[in-house]
Amino acid sequence: MNAPCIKFRRDDGWTFIEATISIVIMAIMVLGLTIVLLAFREQLDRSWAVRVMDQYGNDVIEQLTHELRNATDVEVRGSVGNTHRIDVKYLDPIRHDIFLTSHWRADLRNVRITHGNNDRVDPAFPPQQLGRGESYEIIQFTLSQYAADSPNEWERADRNRRKASFLEASYDIRFKIRYTRAATEVGGRNWTVEKEYFNRVYVRNKNLIVKKGITD
Amino acid sequence: MKCLNSKWRDDAGSIDFIQIVVGLMIVAIASIGTFQALNYGNEKMNQQMRYRKAISIARSAVEYWQGRIHTDFDDKDPRVLQGNLNQVVDPTVLDLGDPTTDLDDVECYVRYGRLDPIDLLETGAGVDYWRINVKVTWWEPNQSRNTDPQLVTFTGTMVSAGI
Repeated sequence: MNAPCIKFRRDDGWTFIEATISIVIMAIMVLGLTIVLLAFREQLDRSWAVRVMDQYGNDVIEQLTHELRNATDVEVRGSVGNTHRIDVKYLDPIRHDIFLTSHWRADLRNVRITHGNNDRVDPAFPPQQLGRGESYEIIQFTLSQYAADSPNEWERADRNRRKASFLEASYDIRFKIRYTRAATEVGGRNWTVEKEYFNRVYVRNKNLIVKKGITD
Repeated sequence: MKCLNSKWRDDAGSIDFIQIVVGLMIVAIASIGTFQALNYGNEKMNQQMRYRKAISIARSAVEYWQGRIHTDFDDKDPRVLQGNLNQVVDPTVLDLGDPTTDLDDVECYVRYGRLDPIDLLETGAGVDYWRINVKVTWWEPNQSRNTDPQLVTFTGTMVSAGI
């Protein structure tokens, strides 16, 4: 027990070795803390970007699904890239005697989906102030008949067994977005995440008399 | 104790070597803890995203069966009616992740239970509608395959075209 007491009592100042080691340790500490904070910010940015993407993907899918559930007819045309122009025809919910049409399309240049009178599905997407190297991209926005472009083998085989009345009323919505954080310094690596949002809709009214405008 | 009192009295007020080492350890522990909390939160949010997507997939499967029952349905075919809860089915991608590799993909399995005909006695019209029950199962990335998978159940109903 004597040795530590002597040590403490005689601690009158710093030796050169202590000072040097302290400086080295503090340098490591500051460097380590900086790396930790930068990595922390990177993780938060990535996580936030994926949440934003997820929110938008689900918004688009849900709104289009809702319109298709009430639609009486759908017309699909090819468009730029792997996207479709979708015209959703539905009965006026108030008057019940006229049909309205909602036009859906992907604006690849501005990375957004528009519908109706060129309205944006979500004005908050893409975020206005993206960081250096950050970008969003619409990879796919399609509406195709049941299992026409499905990766699932059983569904593709099942498609050949289904009646025309089913196939003409069952649609797959596929919306794929890619988020990239391009390297902004030499030796850096790109980080990319891609998500596909999917829904299957049975357009009920196509096989009901509501298609002919008879609702009462 | 006398020794320590003596130490504090003699302390000139500046930082010493031991204090620096202790400080370094505190900062290191705090950093590790903060990162673990961040990773935990991030993983929980990813888990919620997968759960939400599983619900969407289950609803899509119910939508398929609603269409089938409405337009393309043989209510005498036992292969269709019995469901495929105990059968092997093709996986569906639940979470794609990094597009350059398949290693981080999370896959799920979509199955449906027996299609139940519901006959409301008061209508006297035979089968009034059908009940559909879809189950989606998957394992989380860090979850052992020996444990029970995650499960989402979605139930829907539909009238057949004849009704």
